[in-house]
Amino acid sequence: MIYLDYSATTPVGFEVLDTYNRTSKDFFGNPNSLHELGVKTKNLMNSATKQIAEIFNILDSEITYTNGATESNNLALIGCALEYHKKGKHIITSKLEHPSIYAICDYLESMGFEISYVKNDEEGLVDFEDLKSLIRPDTILVSICAVNSETGVRQPLKMIRQIIKKENPETIFHSDMTQAVGKVSVNFHDVDMATFTGHKIYGPKGIGVLYKNSSVNIKPILYGSGKSNMLNPGTPPVPLIVALSKAVRLATTDIEKRERFIERLNNKVVDAISKYEGVMINKTKYSIPHILNISLRNIKGETFLHALEDYEVYVSSNTACSSGNLSTSVLAIYNDRVRASSTLRISLSHLTTTDEINKFIEYFDQIYKKLSGLHG
Amino acid sequence: MEKIILIKYGELSTKKDNINFFLTKLRDNILVALKDMNVNVSYDLGRMFIRTDADIDEVIKRVTNVFGIHEINVGYIIESNNINEIAPYVLELLKDREFKTFKVESKRSNKKIEFTSIELSKMMGAEILKNIPDIKVQVNNPDILINIEYRKDNSLVYFEKIKGLGGYPVGTLGKGLLMLSGGIDSPVAGYMTIKRGVKIEAIYFESPPHTSIEAKNKVIKLARKLAKYNNDIILHVVNFTEIQEEIYKNIPHEYLITIMRRMMYRVSAIIAGRRKAKILINGESIGQVASQTLTSMAAINEVVRIPVIRPLACFDKLDIIDIAKKIDTYETSILPFEDCCTIFVPKHPVINPDKVKCLEYEKLIPYEEMIYKAVKGHEIIKIEEKEKKEFEDLL
Repeated sequence: MIYLDYSATTPVGFEVLDTYNRTSKDFFGNPNSLHELGVKTKNLMNSATKQIAEIFNILDSEITYTNGATESNNLALIGCALEYHKKGKHIITSKLEHPSIYAICDYLESMGFEISYVKNDEEGLVDFEDLKSLIRPDTILVSICAVNSETGVRQPLKMIRQIIKKENPETIFHSDMTQAVGKVSVNFHDVDMATFTGHKIYGPKGIGVLYKNSSVNIKPILYGSGKSNMLNPGTPPVPLIVALSKAVRLATTDIEKRERFIERLNNKVVDAISKYEGVMINKTKYSIPHILNISLRNIKGETFLHALEDYEVYVSSNTACSSGNLSTSVLAIYNDRVRASSTLRISLSHLTTTDEINKFIEYFDQIYKKLSGLHG
Repeated sequence: MEKIILIKYGELSTKKDNINFFLTKLRDNILVALKDMNVNVSYDLGRMFIRTDADIDEVIKRVTNVFGIHEINVGYIIESNNINEIAPYVLELLKDREFKTFKVESKRSNKKIEFTSIELSKMMGAEILKNIPDIKVQVNNPDILINIEYRKDNSLVYFEKIKGLGGYPVGTLGKGLLMLSGGIDSPVAGYMTIKRGVKIEAIYFESPPHTSIEAKNKVIKLARKLAKYNNDIILHVVNFTEIQEEIYKNIPHEYLITIMRRMMYRVSAIIAGRRKAKILINGESIGQVASQTLTSMAAINEVVRIPVIRPLACFDKLDIIDIAKKIDTYETSILPFEDCCTIFVPKHPVINPDKVKCLEYEKLIPYEEMIYKAVKGHEIIKIEEKEKKEFEDLL
């Protein structure tokens, strides 16, 4: 099997799984219990949280655990809307977001909020002038992802923050960092709230984080009992939390070295497949190397995906979350419906080997030759 | 030119015959604070020099928590005491600093130099004015004070001063035993005693199952905060359940606290004696609660002969809280866990306990036996500033 779909999800790391298993077995106590087993479990959970906080240079209390990026995004956007709806009902987001952001925005729109979509330039970067002009006194929230999941375009969050805060210091800045954390170095202090999830960084599925700066208040969207965090009631999933902490530590170690290695693999693929007449590389100078998006002229992305599947090679067409439709991100950047209608996303990891890339290039050639004659 | 850290002693320098004892102790304490770094610490009677290839900011951060230091400077040693050779280095050092006004202060411990200190300052000042535009000399409150010392074989340049904590090097004045509860006051009392050069150990009374493991963890956490100043700290945990239950069952409730405190003092005095601690320390403050009226203090204190130091005796609560915040114990102290002093609290504790009655009531319980048992079985925990990563294998 050649797995090239690491941006959809990653295999859980062996050591991470080991941590999960041992914690489940040895620390099954409820961290809210007063007895020794509960206290021990709570201490372990707190140590795990502290480790994550130290890695990202934030406070322990600024971390809320969720069941994943979608829940984190819901808590961030809806929690913010509930808290500040009396102050304003205007929210800004970009055209390069994860579908979950659009689904939440549609819901908020139905509840009477107004959503603006900031433009981006041909390199995929948020248009600063447009952003500036969109921010109003009643803009309560801006949500812009750190790295676009389809094309890998990375946004300059620090500059975006400066623009937002200059126009309206009260506006809260949230960023979905799901595709950035563990791939490139991020700074949570560039934003007020940030989303990330475990299963994209070789952690377990079912655990995510919402970072919320201590100076920002939001309302919970779930109610229940729980002492650890009012935004996250209920019994904390300690084995998932501890495993996530381990995954974060492993994924952020040697992050630059890994990035350079992946960059080499990325260039190798681009060099090999850009020679085909029907292949367009959807890569701008702001794309991170872990995500390589291409468009196929005259071949359906899904057809190509299934043809690769015969060789046990796994990639995405558009993204796993929005398969079947136009690629909204490619459309937003290139404004070309044909280009956006048939895309493949090849996502790479430090686990990817050069041998796997060579084979992928070879299979790509065979399939391309076979399929390009059939259409068009 | 070599970058070094310069340590000035302050109050210490008034010690005459035994100053070397104080200085070697200070050096030891600095080395403990920097134990995981590659450093060289040398000294003379005037000050100490730290040479290191480690991160200077981190060294300074740690050294500012060492008692016995009046002032810390980042200095530069230049291998010359000729003003013309030194000037280019000084200009180089000034390049990255922003200032509009300055003052040069010179000292010459090398009296062979032909100019006086004032002349040296003037000459260096002129050189600086000539080379850096738009600045002027200002004697009072300059933006930057340029200190230059002309020494025997070299000279020393430094600028900003960082204030140290003062006090005496920990351990130079012997050992004390701190009665550490989980409250706000006792850690502050410990800190103030450490500051005067006393190395402390701490004693904590637990009453399981009336007090929880969380209460004990909280005290360990507080002890760890003090360990930062004390190099490390030994915590004696005494099981007080039997004594406390016996008191509750047999002694009139208005005297519960008085008798309980008397027992704590007795236990503490025995452990202090065994550990060669010369004093007991606690966080009592006159009038704060019923057991801290003067009559109460006298009735409680009479059971021991070891001196009891109460650094907070005359402090207002708000001032104590300020220090607790400064030394970062406050947030831990206010965590809500029951401790020995908050369980079994009588509705109306006696404010003016009678010593004779105390003795009479105490006859109702076999306290000597129970104290012997409690001291014999007590737990000793060594606590270091850096928390051992408990779950390292999982994380």
